[in-house]
Amino acid sequence: MAEISTGQRIRELRQHRGIAQSLLAEQVDISPSYLNLIEKDKRKIGGALLHRLAQRLEVSPAQLSGVEDASLVRDLVDIARVLSFDGLDEAIAGRLVAQAPDWGQAMVTLFQRYKDASETATALSDRLSQDPQLRELSHAVLTQISSIRSFAEILKDVPDLPQDERAHFSGIIASQADRLGLSAREMIALLEGNPGDEIERSQAASAVHEVEDLVNAQRNHLPHFETAADDLRRRILAAHGEGSITAAMLAHLETKHDVEVRQVEGDAFEGLVEEGVHLVDLAAPRTATRFDIARRLMAMELREEIEELARNDRLSGEDARQVARRAFANYAAGALLFPYVPFLEAAEHYRYDMDRLAQRFDGSFEQIAHRLTTLRRPGAEGIPFAYLRSDPAGNISKPYSLPGLRMPRLGGACPLWAVYAAFAEPHKTVAQFAAMPTGERFLFVARRVAKGAQAAGAAPAAYSIMLACEASYANRLVYGDPFTGGREATVTPVGFTCRTCSRQNCGQRAQAGILQRA
Amino acid sequence: MAARILIAEDEPYIVESLRFLLGREGHSVESVNDGAAVQARLETYKPDLLILDIMLPEMTGFEVLRRVRESEITKALPVLVLSAKGQESDQQRMADLAANDFVMKPFSNRDLINRVTALLPAKTLAGSGQAPAAVEAPMSSDRE
Repeated sequence: MAEISTGQRIRELRQHRGIAQSLLAEQVDISPSYLNLIEKDKRKIGGALLHRLAQRLEVSPAQLSGVEDASLVRDLVDIARVLSFDGLDEAIAGRLVAQAPDWGQAMVTLFQRYKDASETATALSDRLSQDPQLRELSHAVLTQISSIRSFAEILKDVPDLPQDERAHFSGIIASQADRLGLSAREMIALLEGNPGDEIERSQAASAVHEVEDLVNAQRNHLPHFETAADDLRRRILAAHGEGSITAAMLAHLETKHDVEVRQVEGDAFEGLVEEGVHLVDLAAPRTATRFDIARRLMAMELREEIEELARNDRLSGEDARQVARRAFANYAAGALLFPYVPFLEAAEHYRYDMDRLAQRFDGSFEQIAHRLTTLRRPGAEGIPFAYLRSDPAGNISKPYSLPGLRMPRLGGACPLWAVYAAFAEPHKTVAQFAAMPTGERFLFVARRVAKGAQAAGAAPAAYSIMLACEASYANRLVYGDPFTGGREATVTPVGFTCRTCSRQNCGQRAQAGILQRA
Repeated sequence: MAARILIAEDEPYIVESLRFLLGREGHSVESVNDGAAVQARLETYKPDLLILDIMLPEMTGFEVLRRVRESEITKALPVLVLSAKGQESDQQRMADLAANDFVMKPFSNRDLINRVTALLPAKTLAGSGQAPAAVEAPMSSDRE
């Protein structure tokens, strides 16, 4: 973990900004002596005071408390595991992040590019064997990846490397990473079919990861979006006769934004792009259409706020900003359709029964599950949930982690997790009381969902959605009932990923565990 | 005594990293950046091992290896081929030409050093070798 404490962080930021201790104390409404104790780590802080201090010091609460650093450390440890770098433990990663967070972030970015390029190169191998030009480019890509990997290993394995040599090798890694990007694009552009699509997809992978980081840094909760959504909801329901929220959204889009919502057949979409018209698919489920309309409305209502978030330095380019705009508009749509306070009260009342919440708020399982992860308002918090979505091939998207329960994103999760079992039971919510090799226990709740239009001949995309919370919350969830009373027979021994799992004799093991080598 | 290793690779950064890694193991290293220069350098430098990239300018790694095996002087020289992932057919061709081992790009440094060590004649590692030498039988074409 990072070695700089919250107190040290506060002191350093305060001094960096030239604010006297007594002034800061006054501004956050505490005594100077109390702030002094906090800065010396003799008092722990959280909640409202942490938020006030963060606001005054112009950083996010996560930055101040070190949650962001901890997330970065876990990413680095994940990478070390994926690359089988033995000996790089969390303490070393923690020191790196504490001393040079930018370098830590640079290594994560570099790894993502390495992984994207590596996957692209492997996937194209069939084509390459028949096309001399592509063969040559593929060789160039793999050679560039080789230099990056080799120098990265040298930097890691040779602790006594002189500073100038270290800087030289780091420079090579950076320049090779740039060349790698160019080579990969050149290679993709040579492909038959629609090269534009390929480039877009390869860029998208990194962009999505950047946005996930940004959302995680906000702890998946945006207070000003919640306020704006509550306010808008009240206004449009009052203005349009307190009818249904859908009717109010449609009326508001038309009167305030001059946007008419029109339902069309899915295959007619392309020919019907016109300004002032928002098309929704006639065959889409009602919950999807409703959410789509809410997203369009909130994207227009919160345009400036969304833009401000999308300008965040964590996002490296327009691709990532585009993904971010959509992610934040989705958040705002959830806040509008599932208003915070009534939704939280209903969740507690129904003991987090997602089917009942879906009925009550007219949402899909995925929308409801995702909304549950955002209930993090200080003083009015729901159960803290981690979130994961997988497709049938095990590709993971939208991971949201909790401290102590890290959702993987750089590879598949343990095959024994409920998120995969749910594919076999399409119409059922699968609950699992999962025990990790380290002793921690979690409640996993997953369900397979189909997305996309239900038109004849069109195959909807299938996903499994999973929520996870610490076992201590199990008695507050309807899904925890089968496991109450400490019946050991109902506990499923699982791991995190095969690579990091130490369990012997697991029938589902797909890869050797690095922890077993010792 | 350290072994003498010749690297035939046109990517300067791969050469630089290999020089660094092999240098740390105590070996002396020279390099050429095109296939046509390999044979002449083999005759002057007399290495204990050749690390050969498949895709070289002027003359491909296949042609280089074929000539190495045809020459009386170098026919038994251990050759470690740098190959690329997804080019398994290249490996088969190199195996047919009696390459001794392969390292797939992207490679791990540790794996590469282990393979180099395994291919070097014992005397270069034991500290008595003088002349370029050979290992026993190069890999035959019917390897798995």
